[in-house]
Amino acid sequence: MQRSPSSYPIIWRVMDVLETTFAAVWPKGGGKFTPYLMLTPAIVLVGTLVVGLLYIGDSSLRVLDRSTFLFSDYWTLDNYIRALSEPFIFTVVWRSLLGAVIVTIVTLMLAFPYAYIMVRTPSSFVRKFLLIALFLPFFIGQVVRAYGWLIILGNQGIVNDVLGLVGVEPLRLLFNYPAVLFGLVQYMLPFGVLMLAPALTAIPEEIEAASGSLGASWVKTMTHIVLPMAKPGLIGAGLVVLTLSLTDFAMPAILGGGTQDFIANAIYDQFFRTSDQGFGSTLALLLIALGSILVGIIFAVFGAGTLALDGSRK
Amino acid sequence: MNRSRSQQIVYWSLVILTLLTLSAPTFVVLGASFTSGNIIQFPPDGFSLKWYAAIIGEQNLRDAFGRSLIVAIICVLVSLPTGTLAGIALSKFRIRGANAIQVYLLLPFTIPLIGSGIGLMLAFGDAGLLGNLWPIGIATAVINLPFMIWAVSSSAVGLDPDLELAAQSCGAGPVQTFFSVTLPAVVPGVITGSLLMFILSLNEFLVSLLLVDARIVTLPVQIYNSIRSIITPDLAAVSVVFIVVAMLAIAALDKLVGLEIFLKSK
Repeated sequence: MQRSPSSYPIIWRVMDVLETTFAAVWPKGGGKFTPYLMLTPAIVLVGTLVVGLLYIGDSSLRVLDRSTFLFSDYWTLDNYIRALSEPFIFTVVWRSLLGAVIVTIVTLMLAFPYAYIMVRTPSSFVRKFLLIALFLPFFIGQVVRAYGWLIILGNQGIVNDVLGLVGVEPLRLLFNYPAVLFGLVQYMLPFGVLMLAPALTAIPEEIEAASGSLGASWVKTMTHIVLPMAKPGLIGAGLVVLTLSLTDFAMPAILGGGTQDFIANAIYDQFFRTSDQGFGSTLALLLIALGSILVGIIFAVFGAGTLALDGSRK
Repeated sequence: MNRSRSQQIVYWSLVILTLLTLSAPTFVVLGASFTSGNIIQFPPDGFSLKWYAAIIGEQNLRDAFGRSLIVAIICVLVSLPTGTLAGIALSKFRIRGANAIQVYLLLPFTIPLIGSGIGLMLAFGDAGLLGNLWPIGIATAVINLPFMIWAVSSSAVGLDPDLELAAQSCGAGPVQTFFSVTLPAVVPGVITGSLLMFILSLNEFLVSLLLVDARIVTLPVQIYNSIRSIITPDLAAVSVVFIVVAMLAIAALDKLVGLEIFLKSK
């Protein structure tokens, strides 16, 4: 006995329509195009960045005429020559590079034990607590966190209040290099730990136990077993922290108070203070180049680490 | 496993130092927002909710928060389908040129934010799009897209391809297979990714700063502009909005997929 099609559940009929439409618009044997079609929206979306880069490239080749405030209608390399010869650019680049390296080292040194305890602790309560303490600042955003540091380190801030109690004159803790680096470390810690933790999870605990039972001290186990096995995670975490702090804007702007500019702040100033879009674009491209070269060097020396998108590689 | 006492001491002192560094700004902002004085102080000068009353009355802060919400919602609406499809495609199929595609899709991470922001500012400006909110939503979707793809692809790896074959041999067409088998398998990744995208977009500062004009500032930009002039406790109260949203997001993430998902090795 045949039931009338209208007695089927509505979802079946919707599915039938979808399948028929799909079969109609999809060419036979089009299966091999499926993955490319699925990737198309993402490729288009990221394409906006490529278009943006082309714009930066174009305007980096045009110089500003200071008398008319117009950009040249021809291309020239003058901006690049200027960027490589101006001493203040060198100062800013050096400050950013040195800062990024220091921040990376300090962040990894703090993130490693944090990730290790978080992964290895037998107590699920401790693990949850450490995870929440990590995600909270991660989800709060840089401006609010920098604002918190302003309250803590300011002239009437907590640290100076405490120092005042023991009779120490207020110290100028803000708007200097260490304040910026400190803020950056705090900003980077969640990235560092979250990049390291999966790599540490992948190390079987038995290997550490074996090393211990063969007489190695925990320091030996750490340096000979855990650190080498965690290398992919360390590289991934180090790279992310290095590039993010090299190119950061908010911490130098807020905690540096304009005296500790990093490259991103110099670029911003070219666009919005001196209105020299051409020179600002040149600096932006040089920063992208600098970042890529650093990543390239690290990839070449240490391998790609955990930074693979397909989820299958270690 | 037994760990020696010295190891415990070394590790835990570093962990506690890290915990203090991580949490100090949050607690200080929370504390400062409850002051009854008129300047920022910690410990706060008495307890009051007057600064919360004050921010509710401030039209520009409410508007800025509303705009940030719109930007974050647009970001999720754009990145969710885009990133989900891409994540499934990358993890399930053998793709010719997969490496090149991966390098390309990682561009939002390899190009510094200031570069992406300036590029989008020039491109959107040339197209006459600046002054709207939706380009900012698109921009935050682009710069964070790898997070979405990552989240989805790492949960798609766990999907047994035989399940899809089984569905098809039971008569499901490609569309039904996708919605009944493939998609449910990656739902934890989709949830994780969407929450991340929402939060990161809500908090996005630099790219917002480059793409907004004075009429459409988002909340992080508003806070940034205010702390550069004079710091009043109402800013602390506004910042608590971000802290509360962050807490809600963490609770949701933990409830829906479990925070431990971030500890899994790939």
